[in-house]
Amino acid sequence: MSQKGRVIDLYKTLLHLGKDWPKGYDFFRDRLKKAFLKNKDVSDPEQIEKMIKHGEYVKKEIEALYMLKKYRTLKRRYEL
Amino acid sequence: MAALVQGIRNSLTRNYSVFTGTFAKSAVVGVQTCNRYVKNTPQKTFIPINRLSENRRWSTTASKKLKLEEIEARVLNVIKAYDKVTADKLTLESHFINDLGLDSLDHVEVIMAMEDEFGFEIPDVDAEKLLRPADIVRYVGDRNDIYE
Repeated sequence: MSQKGRVIDLYKTLLHLGKDWPKGYDFFRDRLKKAFLKNKDVSDPEQIEKMIKHGEYVKKEIEALYMLKKYRTLKRRYEL
Repeated sequence: MAALVQGIRNSLTRNYSVFTGTFAKSAVVGVQTCNRYVKNTPQKTFIPINRLSENRRWSTTASKKLKLEEIEARVLNVIKAYDKVTADKLTLESHFINDLGLDSLDHVEVIMAMEDEFGFEIPDVDAEKLLRPADIVRYVGDRNDIYE
């Protein structure tokens, strides 16, 4: 897959993840858009590669966050 | 004496009735089991097979054929609902990036909205070719076997 394709794919995956964002989908989408647009002029392939890696990392972080949230919610239910 | 006789008779009749009772019951059970195995066997299918094929209650793509105009209307509605598009500039032939002023990230969002609307996933390879509403209409039409 080309680098552009990977960026698009990353954006799409992150958007899907953002649908359950605690502060709302719109909030997440605006932030994500800004984060991507901030680097739209970068043309060095190595730099782009680094950013894609960072994006993958953020993806994992978000997944971990959802797991944590789920765990905390369950824990709270049991404590009551 | 009379009372004794009465008592014996009572107990006798009671015994007798108990006997007939159990006997009658077992006989009935026998008949029932007989029925279950002989008479009821052909009715064991709950729905007759010929009716099953006539009115299927589950949906298939064949049963609800979309019309091309309907797809067009739905595609345009989804794009109109996207906040960065001005509705009066929008036609079927307007290019998302050149005419409507969207960037490639907006385009991804439009494609995602289409996926939600029509309920199937559009692979990235196809998504990057769908640059006009008309392209999307044709793509969705191809997916549902509808041609102009």
